[in-house]
Amino acid sequence: MSLLRISLAPCRRNTLQAACRTVSTNLSPNSTPTINKEPSDVVVPLPARDVMTADVVSGAPSELRHRSVRIYQPTRNTMQSGPGKGERWRIDFDVLLGGGRWENPLMGWASSADYMQGTRVSFRSKEDAIHFAEKQGWDYYVQLPEVKRIPPKNYAENYLYRKDKLRIMRTK
Amino acid sequence: MNTFTIPARLARPATVSETHAEAKKRATQLYREWYRGAPEMIAVYSLNYSPQYVRHLLRQRFEANRHVTDLRAINVLLLKSRQDYQETMNAWKLPDQVIGILLKPKETQQKTFLEKFYTGRDEEAIRPAASGVV
Repeated sequence: MSLLRISLAPCRRNTLQAACRTVSTNLSPNSTPTINKEPSDVVVPLPARDVMTADVVSGAPSELRHRSVRIYQPTRNTMQSGPGKGERWRIDFDVLLGGGRWENPLMGWASSADYMQGTRVSFRSKEDAIHFAEKQGWDYYVQLPEVKRIPPKNYAENYLYRKDKLRIMRTK
Repeated sequence: MNTFTIPARLARPATVSETHAEAKKRATQLYREWYRGAPEMIAVYSLNYSPQYVRHLLRQRFEANRHVTDLRAINVLLLKSRQDYQETMNAWKLPDQVIGILLKPKETQQKTFLEKFYTGRDEEAIRPAASGVV
């Protein structure tokens, strides 16, 4: 499964993001975007948004600013027939490469020193999740949900002739 | 030392600074109060620290937030620090909370290989590589 990484904000990297946020605190929220009529290889910066730097106030460890989070829509619960909570968007933390996990040599219990590995935050919309991640200074990426295509059912298609292909009896 | 006389003497009405200059003035004022309260803090909690060391640790708290430019964040930080000051000076805290949270040194000591080996895990491995600040 390939993760579809889409960076919605131009300031995805840590250093750039920090720069964006410091700028955003100095600008007024209603500042108009600067649109340059130049060749397409020139990156036009998005208008600076007024994002509160909540991470300095929250008391969270500053290491979290260097973690990347995934914003995604969880799949439907296969044990239930209804699509409940399917419209929610979720944030969870990427697994740290290189350790923080160990096995108990005696009992074989799996342990981890990563205190964010079980944490997930639920949101009503993608924009809410992005806003929250920006406020916390997290390096985020958005994983878009796969578009489900349900083909229309056609009874006559069961009896169509197809060369080199066995006929499938669809019972449902 | 009249620590336990009137606990509300350190209470302040919640103020919101509108300009950066005003916030800076309030931060300086708050730092001065922390600075002057260091000997009293040592006496109240029977700390085995020198006032200079306590002031150094308190200074680290202020220096850690020096880069903050968001006025809303500064206001919240000032409010929280002010509440913290009142709680500390009125002995509303336990010694463990003062030593382990308020005065915990910011700089972490590097563990040797053998220390990690005896612990059975490498806690520094969870620290991301890009975090030069922490």
